[in-house]
Amino acid sequence: MTGRLLDGALLPPALVLLAVAVGAELAKAAGLLPVTVPAPSQVLAILPDALDDLLHHAGRTVRSAVTGYAIAAGLALVMAAVALALRMLERPIVSLAVLVDCIPLIAIAPIFVIFIGQGPRLHVTVAAISAFFPLLIGCVQGFRSTDRNMDELFHVIAASRWQRLCKLALPSALPYLFAALKIAAPLALLGTLIAEWMGTDRGLGAMIVYALFSFNVPLAWLAIVTVCALSALAYGLIALAEQRVVGWSRPPDTLAGGR
Amino acid sequence: MTEIVLSDVSKRFRLPDREVTALDGITETFRSGSFTALIGPSGCGKSTLLRLIADVLPPSTGEIRIGNHDPAIARRSHEIGFVFQDASLLPWRTVLDNVSLPIEVAGKAPARDPRALITMVGLAGFEQARPSQLSGGMQQRVAIARALALEPKVLLMDEPFGALDEITRQRMNLELLDIWKASGTTAVLVTHSISEAVFMADTVLVLSANPGRIAHRIHIDLPRPRRLEMMRLPAFNAVENDVRAALFDDGTRVPA
Repeated sequence: MTGRLLDGALLPPALVLLAVAVGAELAKAAGLLPVTVPAPSQVLAILPDALDDLLHHAGRTVRSAVTGYAIAAGLALVMAAVALALRMLERPIVSLAVLVDCIPLIAIAPIFVIFIGQGPRLHVTVAAISAFFPLLIGCVQGFRSTDRNMDELFHVIAASRWQRLCKLALPSALPYLFAALKIAAPLALLGTLIAEWMGTDRGLGAMIVYALFSFNVPLAWLAIVTVCALSALAYGLIALAEQRVVGWSRPPDTLAGGR
Repeated sequence: MTEIVLSDVSKRFRLPDREVTALDGITETFRSGSFTALIGPSGCGKSTLLRLIADVLPPSTGEIRIGNHDPAIARRSHEIGFVFQDASLLPWRTVLDNVSLPIEVAGKAPARDPRALITMVGLAGFEQARPSQLSGGMQQRVAIARALALEPKVLLMDEPFGALDEITRQRMNLELLDIWKASGTTAVLVTHSISEAVFMADTVLVLSANPGRIAHRIHIDLPRPRRLEMMRLPAFNAVENDVRAALFDDGTRVPA
């Protein structure tokens, strides 16, 4: 089953990727692309030499993005639980989240540098801010999605608030949570990248900046493609976890048959 | 002894533009261990009455006592089992885990073995199945098993078989009577079906709408255990006709 699942999840995007690469290669050969866009083969050609460098930078970026993402997820979960327990706080909390989401990160990141400095803490902070909004909305919506009869059921069996949260609200929210987690993962990576542009010695954002300054176009594109691949990978991993964890929210035959 | 006593109970709902009286002047005693059916036109407050007894909603006026306690106390000491119109099973839990839920929440040693309950409702072998893999009738049986998990003294059922086909429904009715007899709980069943009400109950309460009031009490003198063949007897049909008359007549003709 896992094999079929992987086929279903990986084969279509792989085919699309292949088509784009072949198209770009042909377009480059026909002279249709500007000098700032290399042929995929040129990017691939530098991979062996650049691999160590790439892993060195990617490692830092992934760590910052994952940390920021985890912080945002934890914060969103706690705030949504508070909004669930105290209904009157739901609106202020959502409003605050909208406000945070409206912050133009590119403009405000340099200001953060003054408070936090240019280190990984800045990257983690910006990653967390980028990922926070969809996570919070997902949690709030999810907690609200409990069935009314089930609410009554938990009332009749005299469940405590904590039991309601753990045994009813949280499992009911899982499909929404996973949707939010999928959307937020690439955002956390993007946030990290923005923060890294503000100046750092290590990270994919820094790598792109260095490559552009030295006009190493294939290297810049290698870093960009790596960011895309990491985003897609994060999305895919969460989607896989989703199928494992909330398989109950789909009819069983769909689950067995893949997509 | 778990009598349910309602004294002059009313329930009003406040809507944005007006107030609606859902139930008015309900005074009734449900004898300990009896089986009562509530029947009436939609909007007559049958389900509301059930929710008042279960302490899901507070009455606007009047008093409800369950075994001489407040419904809130009965609820907190897990004396109330409730079966919803749709089974309301947790889709992420298996059959066994759904039936075990009240025991888990109450945190006490199982009053009844969940596996034995599942066997009792005829679902042995389906312990590890998910609700989505079961038919509507099977789901409702799981819901009944769940309601019985803590040996409730009061079993409240809100049209539990409304969505089932006639054959499954009659089979479930028989099973439910066996379960009720064995458990000795005071049962209250909300139903739309006249024959179901007559077949199951000791007393059928016919409610009228706007506001919801008890229009008629009809005692069913058919012997127990009830059997499906009884439904063909003239005596059964006569009682059915009484209930039908009470439901559709304007209340001038009081059946025997």
